Amino acid sequence: MVVSKSDIIKFFDTIQSEYDIFVPYKTEREIDGLVFKKYDPEKEFVLDKYRTVDPVRTLFYMPSESVLPPSAKSNKRIIAGVKNCDLLGLAVLDDALLKDNFIEPNYKIWRDSSYIISCDCTDALPTCHCVLLDNNPYPNASKEGESLFDINLSPIKEKFVITVGSKKGEELLEKIKEVCLLTEATDNDKEICEANHAEVLKKVRDINSDFTPDRNYDVITENKEASVWKEFCNECVQCGACTNICPTCYCLILNDESTEEEFRKVRSWDSCQLVGYAEVAGGATPREHRWETFRNRYQCKHNFMKFNFDKLGCTGCGRCISACPAEIDLREVIQSLQEV
Amino acid sequence: MPDKNPYEVLKADVLEVIEESPTIKSFYLKPERPFEFVTGQFIELSLPGIGEAPFTPSSSHYETEKIWVTIMNAGFVTNEIHKAKKGDVMGIRGPYGKGYPLDKFKGKDVLLLGGGVGLAPLRCLLQTMIHDVKDYKSITVCFGARTPDDMIYKDQIDGWKSVDGVHHLCTVDKCSDADKWNGKTGVVTVLLDDITIEPKDAISVVCGPPIMMKFGTFSLLDKGFLPENIYLSMEKKMYCGFGQCRHCVIGKYYACKDGPVFTYEQIKDEEKIWD
Repeated sequence: MVVSKSDIIKFFDTIQSEYDIFVPYKTEREIDGLVFKKYDPEKEFVLDKYRTVDPVRTLFYMPSESVLPPSAKSNKRIIAGVKNCDLLGLAVLDDALLKDNFIEPNYKIWRDSSYIISCDCTDALPTCHCVLLDNNPYPNASKEGESLFDINLSPIKEKFVITVGSKKGEELLEKIKEVCLLTEATDNDKEICEANHAEVLKKVRDINSDFTPDRNYDVITENKEASVWKEFCNECVQCGACTNICPTCYCLILNDESTEEEFRKVRSWDSCQLVGYAEVAGGATPREHRWETFRNRYQCKHNFMKFNFDKLGCTGCGRCISACPAEIDLREVIQSLQEV
Repeated sequence: MPDKNPYEVLKADVLEVIEESPTIKSFYLKPERPFEFVTGQFIELSLPGIGEAPFTPSSSHYETEKIWVTIMNAGFVTNEIHKAKKGDVMGIRGPYGKGYPLDKFKGKDVLLLGGGVGLAPLRCLLQTMIHDVKDYKSITVCFGARTPDDMIYKDQIDGWKSVDGVHHLCTVDKCSDADKWNGKTGVVTVLLDDITIEPKDAISVVCGPPIMMKFGTFSLLDKGFLPENIYLSMEKKMYCGFGQCRHCVIGKYYACKDGPVFTYEQIKDEEKIWD
């Protein structure tokens, strides 16, 4: 199926009274930066290009939310222009927050009420490195079961090829059909899609040509005493930007705002990079040195989450590199460990 | 049906406060509904508007109407909890984590090695095992404290000793006043010299301050206890209690969800388990 960009705009205009729509817009705050904002018919949005400055996680797991009682709203939402690195991030969060017997109440509400329209990347930022993690700058439809997206858009000139990835996607497609004129994708459309994929893949590979594909993350634990940690962490100011901007971080602290009449709990983001994170009453901490704190993020993303969820906690979005005031590059850290 | 909110709190009235030692108090709580748990599991106990912290109940898991929690004044929240009086309201959520696998203990010699406030979860285990005392080959309790004043549950020792199948030994690290203590002195591991059970098949459960857990475990290994039969109650910083805040990770394990009870075998290769 193919839909024109003007029809997508028409679709958003028609349904904006029924759905809260979030789409990436250019921001003046940062050159080349895109940020998710509520749909504004007056402004031009950007569905393709590359990932946003903030991860899509921020629309599902807010910096601070009441969890008792849950504060999430169940208005239907459409979040469009989500990139593959963010879809993979949501997959980690789903495993962390929706599995076992413990369902994170807000995340569940936000997730259930949202439809995700992803889009292939057509460009890349200097920090993008999904290819080093065996991921692609465009989502792949799952061969069996549900995909990570509800609908994916593959841009071809002023049009998009639509791929439906889930039951929710089928529902949404019916809505789209009410407003938009859809045509069958021609062989030529499919060829253009494939050529676009190859082109953006090459672009991300070229950006990362200095790095060997990081496939063996056992080096992190094997070299946990290596001087690499101390060298790289010398510049780290423990600001926590890398974790706050990560699509898979979900560490939290809980504040009690109860009264004797009603129990209330508020959860806020925390960061393993901050001082005092794991310190218990009495002052003991399992990570006494700054380099151990620094190392923890790498272990968590590449070793612990792999063990916990059978998925890597790094999706290759490169946001932690862009956000770091000390310009510490995760790719260089891993590369150095591989060369120990 | 909507999913149960894992943060849901049960209101609990404080029925009684017992001063166990200069730094430790026990709180008798009556939850608004019976509270079921398995010995070794923990709860998050909150003081409205102040905060919450994780504790393992100290009463038998057969007792669900009233719960006894023994708490040391060690930080901000526990300091506030220590100010609580009879009639105050607290909040309980949980239970969380995995408890002691009692099925694996049955028919065996079980040794409880506890120090200081580490006796609190062990009391829960002991009371629970005493309920079914015939299921166990023997129960040996080795409790230690820094000084006689720091020894908690002193008034209950005679009761435990009178149970057929329970052996109770205790020691204090030091005591200058012979009027107060006529028992053994020395760190808790000295009690292991006096035990007669065959270590190879026996179960041991260790709970106490990190340094005591470390040397307690090493002494048990020296005695011939097997790493897979040494159970440790791990304490880490915990906010949520169910594997979402990630503060309590011991390497790849969550102390809250995969523990708090671990065998030494499970975690011996993880880093800094005693810190």
